Amino acid sequence: MNIYSTVFYRNRRLLSFSLAFVVFMLTIIFPQNIRNRLGETSAAFFLYPFSELKGYVENLEGVADENKELRRQLVEARRQLFAAAEAKRENQRLRESLGFDNDGEFNLIPVKIISLFQDIYPVAARINKGRRDSIELNCPVMNRDGLVGKIKEVGPEHSIVALLTDPSNAVSGRLAESRQFGIVRFSPRRGMYLDNLPADAEVASGDVVITSGLGGIYPAGLSVAIVDSAGAARGDIMKKVWLHPTVNFFEIDELYVLVDGAR
Amino acid sequence: MKIIPYIIYLYLIAFHYTILSEIVDIYQITFDLAAVIVGLIAMYRSESVALWFALAAAVVAGSRNPELIPWEILLLGGTAVVVNQVSLRVNLESIASRLFIIGGLVFVHVLAVDLLVSRADVLFSIYRHILPTVLYSLVVLWILFLIIDKKLTWPKIKSLF
Repeated sequence: MNIYSTVFYRNRRLLSFSLAFVVFMLTIIFPQNIRNRLGETSAAFFLYPFSELKGYVENLEGVADENKELRRQLVEARRQLFAAAEAKRENQRLRESLGFDNDGEFNLIPVKIISLFQDIYPVAARINKGRRDSIELNCPVMNRDGLVGKIKEVGPEHSIVALLTDPSNAVSGRLAESRQFGIVRFSPRRGMYLDNLPADAEVASGDVVITSGLGGIYPAGLSVAIVDSAGAARGDIMKKVWLHPTVNFFEIDELYVLVDGAR
Repeated sequence: MKIIPYIIYLYLIAFHYTILSEIVDIYQITFDLAAVIVGLIAMYRSESVALWFALAAAVVAGSRNPELIPWEILLLGGTAVVVNQVSLRVNLESIASRLFIIGGLVFVHVLAVDLLVSRADVLFSIYRHILPTVLYSLVVLWILFLIIDKKLTWPKIKSLF
């Protein structure tokens, strides 16, 4: 032990240099992947905490900008809401003066999805409210982007929603601009399309399709889809209109059931 | 416990590479903190401490580009030993001599890394990147030495305003 310590202390400088040289040689001889791993380990220990901090601060800056933009949109939305409320009151007065029936008022019941029934597309969803929450068969269901479907089965505490992606669930729709009627259907192979539209109907890409209010299930004016493309072959009586749903059925989470307000 | 300050220095180098360099850069020129800290430790600490700290600093400095790790080890380790030996033989009383020694280390380090990374026109690189980096590092070092020598103190700064 004594000899070893004497040798070590006498040649400490030489040993230190030799060890450093060995480290240098090893990093030279190491294959690239081991050097990469050494770099990654060092980065994980020393650089990573600061990168995370930097990302967090940059994210905060982004949040501040986003907050500013959302506040601006909120003011704009409030202004539009006041204008819409005023237009609604005016519409109500005019309908009364012409002797038209008023459209029914709806209450929105917020619900959560418990499970999805899915094939290629989700076709139905089980929700966490049922008859005890005033939900009834055929009540329309929507989310913030537009129409989602209708209630097809009601239990005491749960219900099942038939989504618009269910091929058996068709909706009477109309083009918001040209007011032409059609039937919105969904095919797993072809996607969403508007059926029964005359060949001479004016349709342009980007037109909005809304519910027509016909059929007595869905109230008029709910956003359903946006026109992707339209066309009719020579001699066709009906036009084929391909649609892009306003609702992303792969990302639905919070839904609202529309219940007749008179109840 | 003696190792803790060195770990803090390593974190300081990492902080410089990730955040500080973007804040303090002038026309994309920033000071070479890794070389500065290695130089200061080589100047004020023993040879073996300088050598091993330089090796650790080289691994941190090279972690963004692992291909550079061996060259960073060679550069920072070699220059740390040279700076340590020179410091033992020259009078370190004057700030100019200390600036000259560490400035030399920074110059060699930046020049070598530039040659290894970009292999661009050396003269243009010296004019556009290396000399401004050395100059910026020297300014930072000068302020640091003024503080270490107590020539720049808080009461003196306050008296200016």
